[in-house]
This record gives sequence, structure tokens and C-alpha cells, in this order.
Amino acid sequence: MEKPRWASRISKRTILVIINLMKVIIELFGASRDFSDQNSLELDIENGSSIKDVRNKILDYLDINFKGNENFIKIVNSSAFCSNDNIISDNYKITNNEKIAIIPPIGGG
Amino acid sequence: MLHTKIKNIKDRKLSIVEAEKFISSSDFGASIFFSGTVRNQNNNKSVIGITYDSHDSLVIKSFEEIYNEADKKLGIKDKAVFIEHAKGYLNLGEVSIIIAVACKHRDEAYILSRYIIEEIKKRSPIWKKEHYQNNEADWLKGNPIQYEKN
Repeated sequence: MEKPRWASRISKRTILVIINLMKVIIELFGASRDFSDQNSLELDIENGSSIKDVRNKILDYLDINFKGNENFIKIVNSSAFCSNDNIISDNYKITNNEKIAIIPPIGGG
Repeated sequence: MLHTKIKNIKDRKLSIVEAEKFISSSDFGASIFFSGTVRNQNNNKSVIGITYDSHDSLVIKSFEEIYNEADKKLGIKDKAVFIEHAKGYLNLGEVSIIIAVACKHRDEAYILSRYIIEEIKKRSPIWKKEHYQNNEADWLKGNPIQYEKN
């Protein structure tokens, strides 16, 4: 059977990159709610990515969608992240389809 | 004895009467009621209301941790504590938080009440969006939550 034309254009490296991706869902709270009309962002990240990588991915997303809005960048850089009701460190490794929350600077009461 | 709740203001308002009911006991000789309300001015701007946002489960966890710390850090073992925080849009004068504490003696009650509100301000993931007269609104800057970077 002949391969479809598009198949010949995909390099081995491209296939590897595609296979190597996973999804992360970022729940938005506080000031980060302005990042989207939805309550969360869904981002593609590489397998084995850490919170540090996710932070950079969010910055890329803001660059594309909000032309690098300075306030939004500040919010991301000063935010913590949370998984299963625990605040997690920048080295925390994400698993596929994991839901994490972004915790911008707080101030209730 | 601890009661905690995040109340969606659309469903029900915060109530001092409920707080009083929870903490009242003949075991305690001192009660303090603290309530936070929405005020009409902040940073020279006329405020007409505040939207409160919250990571509910993490906030409840932080309330429980603060309560448990009162044993170890403050040495206050016998106590009743009621903490409720509102979520959603609040008009001027509406109650955003109630902290009611009851202890054996007044010294403990004053210390505990103050400790709880200061720790909530530092640690509980709650956010405020102020609404102004000119139809504008702003999330307040707040303080970054402390965590281990590595």
C-alpha cells in the first residue's frame, strides 16, 4: 500500500517530538483568571516537564496571546503552583493530564 | 473545636449568629468576634464592591493548619474557633470574613483571634478584585505565597 503524501513529509524527529508531548491543565485563580475566558488553560508540554517548564510555557502563551503583557508576566513569575492541595516546588515533575492550579499573590480577609 | 467554610455569597451570607452558636460554651469565659467588611475606599479610589475568589480546598486546609498551630505555637489548647470566608461579589458593608474564637481567658482569646487573621492574610489562597465607580475593576496585588523553590 502506498503511503499518503503527508506521511513522507513528517521526519522521524517530528514523530518523536509529537510522541514526547503530554497535556497539563492549569486551573486559573485570582489575577490569572484574566489569562483566559475559561477557568483553565490546557497546554502541551514535553514528557518529564517540571513546574519551571510550565511557567515558561505559560509565559510563551502570554507572549502569543497578550503580546507579553507586563502585568501578566509579573503575575506568573510571582505565582506558586498547587497539585492535590499541596503547594509544589519548581522542580516538581508533571504527569500526563495532571491538573495543577496557579496561585498568584494572595490577599483575602 | 473548629468550624471552617467558604460560602458562596449567592447562596448564603455570613452570619455572626451562627458563629456565636458554634463557639458558645460554659467551658469558655472569653469570646472575640472579628468580621471584615467591604469598605468604600482603597488607594484613593472609590470602591463600590469586591469580588472574592478562592481555592476552596487549599483555603480550608490552611485554616485547619492555622488552628492546629495554635496548640503548638501559642500553647492555646482549649478553644472553639469559627472561620468563614465569603466568595463572589460583595457590596459595600457586606461581611467577607468572620473569625469567632472562644477561650478560657481573654488574653488567649485576643492573641488567638489576631493570630488567625494575620496568618490567613499571609497563607490562605484568597484573592480580591475591587470594582470602582467608573466601571473599572482591578485584582489587588497581594503577597506571593511562601513555598520551597527547589
